[in-house]
Amino acid sequence: MDVNKIRADFPILRRKIKGNDLVYLDSGATSQKPEIVIETMNKFYRENNANIYRGVYELSAESTRMVDEARATVAAFIGAEFTEVVFVRNASEAINLVAYTWGEENIKKGDAIVVTRLEHHSNFLPWQVLCRKKGAELRVIEVTKEGLLMEEGEVKEFEKDGLKVKVGGIKDLIDDRIKLLAVTGVSNVLGTIVNVKDLAGKIKQKSPGAKVLVDGAQMVPHMKVDIKKLGADFLAFSGHKMLGPTGIGVLWGKKELLEKMKPFMYGGEMINEVTLTGASWAELPSKFEAGTPDIAGIIGLGAAVDYLKDVGMDDIREHEKELTGYALTKLAELEKAGLITVYGVRDPERRGGAIPFNVEGVHPHDAAQVLDSFGIAVRSGQHCAAPLVTSFGVPAMVRATLYLYNTKEEIGYLTEKIKEIPKVFA
Amino acid sequence: MSTYKEEIIDHYKNPRNFGEMKDPDLSLTEANTSCGDMVKIFLKMKDGRIAKMKWQGVGCAISTAAASMLSEVAVGMNRDEMEEFGDKGVVKMLGGEINPGRLKCATLAYVGLLKLLK
Repeated sequence: MDVNKIRADFPILRRKIKGNDLVYLDSGATSQKPEIVIETMNKFYRENNANIYRGVYELSAESTRMVDEARATVAAFIGAEFTEVVFVRNASEAINLVAYTWGEENIKKGDAIVVTRLEHHSNFLPWQVLCRKKGAELRVIEVTKEGLLMEEGEVKEFEKDGLKVKVGGIKDLIDDRIKLLAVTGVSNVLGTIVNVKDLAGKIKQKSPGAKVLVDGAQMVPHMKVDIKKLGADFLAFSGHKMLGPTGIGVLWGKKELLEKMKPFMYGGEMINEVTLTGASWAELPSKFEAGTPDIAGIIGLGAAVDYLKDVGMDDIREHEKELTGYALTKLAELEKAGLITVYGVRDPERRGGAIPFNVEGVHPHDAAQVLDSFGIAVRSGQHCAAPLVTSFGVPAMVRATLYLYNTKEEIGYLTEKIKEIPKVFA
Repeated sequence: MSTYKEEIIDHYKNPRNFGEMKDPDLSLTEANTSCGDMVKIFLKMKDGRIAKMKWQGVGCAISTAAASMLSEVAVGMNRDEMEEFGDKGVVKMLGGEINPGRLKCATLAYVGLLKLLK
């Protein structure tokens, strides 16, 4: 994988920020877009734009074909069937769709839903709300100091406004009442890679009927994901974190589950027959795609997936693993010098390219602001994972996230500039 | 280094009117839940105007400097004048340049003061 060749495909990487070269280390929030994605969407609007499915004229046929092709591309990318790929706005919407349809129908009083402390709010709040509403128990797998899922430990119970929450190790939380495991594939804060298949297997030993939803927002962009090997029933991910445009995301679900689920939203193109007194629903995936979709977004996502496939997901993972290892080594030097604290597991085999840290005595927002003055884009705050971040005893963290276009030079530059941060406040 | 104006660094390192107030007329805690910043404000009032402000809290340089500067600026103000001051006044007080991502940090203490006076 030639990173310089890849960088040349991303126009924004030629930008200057306050006179410095842009060092973009926030792909965990959103990735940058290659020329081909931007151009594909531009070209669509210039040459093909029409609403899909209904039109009999040439342009509509072209648009429809392009959307179908993009869906086939995305389906093949994750090893799924065409009709199992539902286009939504983002991973959050995909997860909410499952909570509002499958969750509403299947979660009953006395059931349990298992999540982990690693979850982004988007894979935590829908289940917290659902459990409270249904009288189900929310079980949270605790995270060790290293940022790994805890196997066994102390069990803590909380109760507030009718919701019972149990926190503990994997073994402590498993019984025959579990209906759903909702788990991230890769933590957006600590980078921890979760062995979904192993965890799902443990849960299904006691609760064979339990379903598994994987939040793939930080996983699908960064490593090969094959739903046949993942051990999941649902997979949610966002297009904009994988070189695609904002506003488009994917829910994959097993066909037999999607077929049984009620629609999430009602409206155009999701019906079979409508009368004044009733309606029947369209086949998959249209049943879940009410209204005109983000046509250009779908086509742009298709182009992004083609680009990722061309580079090769295994090569991308290898590149990020190498960068992550390099970054952890460089940052460990600063940590030894008492300058920073780094969070998460230190073995790059077990984590993706999200690297959170704090600079001693400097608030994360201030640290990020100083780095910005050097052209470095990192995120600071709670990263939409407050229960996780605060469990480390800090109000917030700085987070650098890596992707296929990042280089060792950029990490070296980051490390050098981190040293400048305390000087500003000295 | 122009990231932070000298005045902000000065107020951050030597916060004015920092500390607790015994028997305040008004007091409240305001928090920015997205980054864990928190400020506790104590006020002595006279004829509907702020006579003295003390504050405590942890936060970033911007929220700390803003609380410190406000503790001087707010003295003598009544409710209407505080409302009139506005987010714009806070940004101006901090030197006129706050990026939108930091506005919540900048206005943390101000939002608390407004709530107290209402």
